[in-house]
Amino acid sequence: MLPGSLDEAVAALDAVPAAVPVAGGTDLMPAINSGRLRPEALVGLGRVKEMRGWRYLEDGRALLGAGLTLARIGQPDFGALVPALAAAARTAGPPHVRNAATLGGNVVSAAPTADTLPVLVALEAEVTVAGSAGRRDVPVSHLLTGLDPLGPGEVLVCLRVPLLHAPQVYLKAQARTGPSRSAASVAVVLDPARRGVRCAVGGVAPVPLRPLDAEAWVASVIDWDGGRRIAREALAAFGDYVAAACVPEPAGAPRSEALAAERLRRTIAVLARRGLGRALA
Amino acid sequence: MTTTEETPAEGVPAQPGGAEEIDGLGASPMADTAMSKAMGTYPFATDLWAEGLLWGTLVRSPHPHARIVRINTESAFRLPGVQAVVTAADIPGDPLTGEPVADRPVLARDVVRHHGEPVAAVAADHPDTARLAAAAVEVEYELLEPVPDPERSFHAPPLHPDGNQVRHLPLRFGAPDDPAAVGEVVVEGLYRIGRQDPAPVGTEAGLAVPRPDGGVELHLSSTDPHGDRDRAAAFLGLEPERVRLVAAGVPGAVGEREDISLTAALGLLALRTGRPVKMAFSREDALLGHVHRHPAVLRYRHHADRDGRLIKVEGQLVLDGGPYADGSEETLATLVALAAGPYVVPHVRVDGWVMRTTNPPAGRLPGEGALQACFGYEAQMDKLAAKLGLDPVEMRARNVLATGDIMPTSQTVTCPAPVADLLKAVMAEPLPEVAADGGEELLPGGTGGAADLTQVRRGIGFAVGMVPLLGIEGADEVSTATVRVLPVYEDLEGAASGVECVVECAAVDTGSGFATLAAQIVRETLGVVRVRVTGADSDQPAAGPSARGRQVWVSGGAVERAAGMVRKQLLQPMADELGMSVELLSLRDDRVVSYDGRYARPIGELLGGRELWASAQYRPHPTEPLDENGQGDAFAGLAFAAMRAVVDVDVELGSVRVVEVAVAQDVGRALNPRQVRARIEAGVTLGVGAALMEDLRTDAGGRVVNASFGGYRVPTALDAPVVRVAALLEERDVVATFGAKGVGAVPAVVTPAAVAAAVRSATGRAVQRVPVRSADAVERRS
Ligand SMILES: Cc1cc2nc3c(=O)[nH]c(=O)nc-3n(C[C@H](O)[C@H](O)[C@H](O)COP(=O)(O)OP(=O)(O)OC[C@H]3O[C@@H](n4cnc5c(N)ncnc54)[C@H](O)[C@@H]3O)c2cc1C
Repeated sequence: MLPGSLDEAVAALDAVPAAVPVAGGTDLMPAINSGRLRPEALVGLGRVKEMRGWRYLEDGRALLGAGLTLARIGQPDFGALVPALAAAARTAGPPHVRNAATLGGNVVSAAPTADTLPVLVALEAEVTVAGSAGRRDVPVSHLLTGLDPLGPGEVLVCLRVPLLHAPQVYLKAQARTGPSRSAASVAVVLDPARRGVRCAVGGVAPVPLRPLDAEAWVASVIDWDGGRRIAREALAAFGDYVAAACVPEPAGAPRSEALAAERLRRTIAVLARRGLGRALA
Repeated sequence: MTTTEETPAEGVPAQPGGAEEIDGLGASPMADTAMSKAMGTYPFATDLWAEGLLWGTLVRSPHPHARIVRINTESAFRLPGVQAVVTAADIPGDPLTGEPVADRPVLARDVVRHHGEPVAAVAADHPDTARLAAAAVEVEYELLEPVPDPERSFHAPPLHPDGNQVRHLPLRFGAPDDPAAVGEVVVEGLYRIGRQDPAPVGTEAGLAVPRPDGGVELHLSSTDPHGDRDRAAAFLGLEPERVRLVAAGVPGAVGEREDISLTAALGLLALRTGRPVKMAFSREDALLGHVHRHPAVLRYRHHADRDGRLIKVEGQLVLDGGPYADGSEETLATLVALAAGPYVVPHVRVDGWVMRTTNPPAGRLPGEGALQACFGYEAQMDKLAAKLGLDPVEMRARNVLATGDIMPTSQTVTCPAPVADLLKAVMAEPLPEVAADGGEELLPGGTGGAADLTQVRRGIGFAVGMVPLLGIEGADEVSTATVRVLPVYEDLEGAASGVECVVECAAVDTGSGFATLAAQIVRETLGVVRVRVTGADSDQPAAGPSARGRQVWVSGGAVERAAGMVRKQLLQPMADELGMSVELLSLRDDRVVSYDGRYARPIGELLGGRELWASAQYRPHPTEPLDENGQGDAFAGLAFAAMRAVVDVDVELGSVRVVEVAVAQDVGRALNPRQVRARIEAGVTLGVGAALMEDLRTDAGGRVVNASFGGYRVPTALDAPVVRVAALLEERDVVATFGAKGVGAVPAVVTPAAVAAAVRSATGRAVQRVPVRSADAVERRS
């Protein structure tokens, strides 16, 4: 089924409760082909006009269709608008995958290593979902943590992200030079209007983590009026603060686990320090 | 001896058999299949199809070690569309397989000994049905203690009726126990090597078609048609003649390819159902099922005098053989015999063991045994150099092996062994630019974009290494080939318009280029432009497995011999007629020409409508097993390489990128320079995988944790370094066919050692294990 509008898509999913929506298919098709998933029917979202493209909103945000491909989001125009999202999209998998993979699919699959999620969480993005009962807007973190999940027959239509007009960084540690899943990743966005720093860490927990205390502390030590300067020691402390917040001390765990946690903490500390350093440079 | 510069890609004829061009030896014709492979039209085994075929799948153990209490196949068999479910109880022939020790159940009977061991097989109308049925086979297991650590296996209860020790090989050379045989400088080290998967681009796949005579025809991407046929026949309880094996397109082979459980299960299911059965492994199947590189734990102690001359090498080397013997005995012999590396050492005391574990099975990969040893002995050489305050290259130069020297096995090196020249050649190469001009993607950490240039350190490491060529310790190496010259008729009525040569040999071209080389050999000997190399099947005489760099030597030798016999048949009548000896006639461009150019006749005319053919067998000189002190002439040949690896390391994150590998290699003779180069690049890439990322890991409970290409990472194009061929030293090995040495394995062997040395130089860390973990490449905080 290839509905052309959101209403048709919702109706199609309502008619066949066991049907599954498919966008780029880069997560879904491997699962189907290997027999892990055997959906009764597929509803293709590729032609749903409400999910395509993007536009500016009057409230200073941008509305991104769920059907935008990661390749599209990685383009320089997005890089100018939402730099960290563009950077995250560019690191997600090899080019042929990014050409098909969609933003909506990345959010709905919600893999712990999904690259756009830390950025969306740091941006405090909002998503619009639609089902036969109507539409609603949900903070992306509520969707991901299960506080307000996607209901049966619901689809993700679009996302709203703030345009902050300030530097943003997404950094991903990975185990090889070529495309691979993140071992850990950090998104850092500056919100100069509110004198805020927002940060999210991916790849270490089921959903991206926000080190709120570290954010608040570091925002207080940045010289916002004097070229956004920060002391070197404060940068390093921020890294350690973020890492400690995201990777707990494994109490009483075997030595190998304690070592692994220590390594992960070190990686996150480096990423967070570098990320903020680049954003403030 | 000649030194060839880097072979230019340009100026090499792009297509074989261009009208006037004779692509004999030393030219670089392209493989016949290169275009179709690049275009995606080449048929691989996964593309096989037969009318009315069924789909097979294997049921695998989820446990690393368990007793099978009961298997109930009923509910699986009752599923609509399921045609057969077989278990060990249904095996008509020999339930155990394996070379040289038959110790591996094709389908587990009483006990499973590794995660993923096959316990049953299913055939159904549809692949989904087969998968569902596999999941519906009920196997009741009683869990047993896994033994994931090869060192603990010494004292663990027996995992197998044959005991836990597959082989112990001691080597004693010189007078290692003499109290005087100690060096003034002593270094020790403990080294670990991970579990590399052969990771062929295409997974194992095949099609079995039952034959009217009760036999079966197996279409497989086999690299050893006769071996696989014989193993399948034994399992099926059939005469080998009733099993025919046809080699289907091989989608990449690293070492030996076929998993006997696939071959055997296919055959059994086809015989059971009387219908063709196809099976194609998923990546998870492949990673769990087939053999891997032997993980190793190596303990070394090296002694040297104040001048940096080696006095004694001591080692305790333990290989993780997985649950079954497979190629482990040979791996151990290589490891132990080459434990000191390409150096002259007066005293050696080494003990090697292969132990059974409940880890994934281990077998042959390129440079198996040699790679593990090289990582250990080269790290030791660097340690000695550091302790003596010597340059690492100078340290090596003072000890390198040369032709005429005696190895620790007491075998005299009779082949070319230009190790010193190889080292000089890599030393002389200019270093790559430091500037990161390739953009962010070519920094350590790559596409993740996390690298910080101020934290990137460059490191340079040197290593030399060696591999044995052909089977070792008395393996019977033999191959047979047939060469035909026949007239070609363009239209049905006309006279012969030309000639064609056909080469028949059961040597499978795995993509390593044997077919191209066989054609080159025939062109060189017979001067015929059009040469066709037929496919391999088990109806032809055996040519042995395509592994250990043996096909060019052994099957190439057979092709050369057969072509030489045809040449004689072709020329003798003309020589008689002209009253000159055959040696005074030459063959080129489809014509016979006398030495003075006065007589020239087309080969087609000489044939007079007949076909000439000859078959020849080739057997290299024999080798002998190593004795109880590890002594003996175990190797038919040796190949050497020297390398310089340049790496960039982000010393805060521990991410490593290999920037460049400069290689100098002893190739005997470059029969097809472009192919040699491609083999070196492939070998280096394989070595980079072993050095930095490839490791099939198990958890504390012995289960494989990364059986997918998401978790088991192989090098991508961005991970593959620039490979700079500093020199191909062409000193012919007189006993080898055309003097050529196998080229694919030795670069894989030396790369991990060179990369690890480079990471040490960048970080100051010890790096005692490959693949290098990021935690081991992080600079210690001061
Ligand atoms: C080789 C490879 C490498 C990869 N590497 C990375 C990587 O490094 N980083 C990374 O983040 N991801 C990676 N991915 C994952 C993948 O590409 C992304 O998750 C992708 O964004 C998913 O989008 P899609 O359009 O392909 O989703 P699909 O596969 O079409 O769908 C995924 C899931 O989302 C549901 N869905 C899709 N769209 C909607 C919608 N609008 N409303 C409701 N439900 C919907 C589907 O039903 C399905 O359950 C990789 C994938 C592959 C194959």
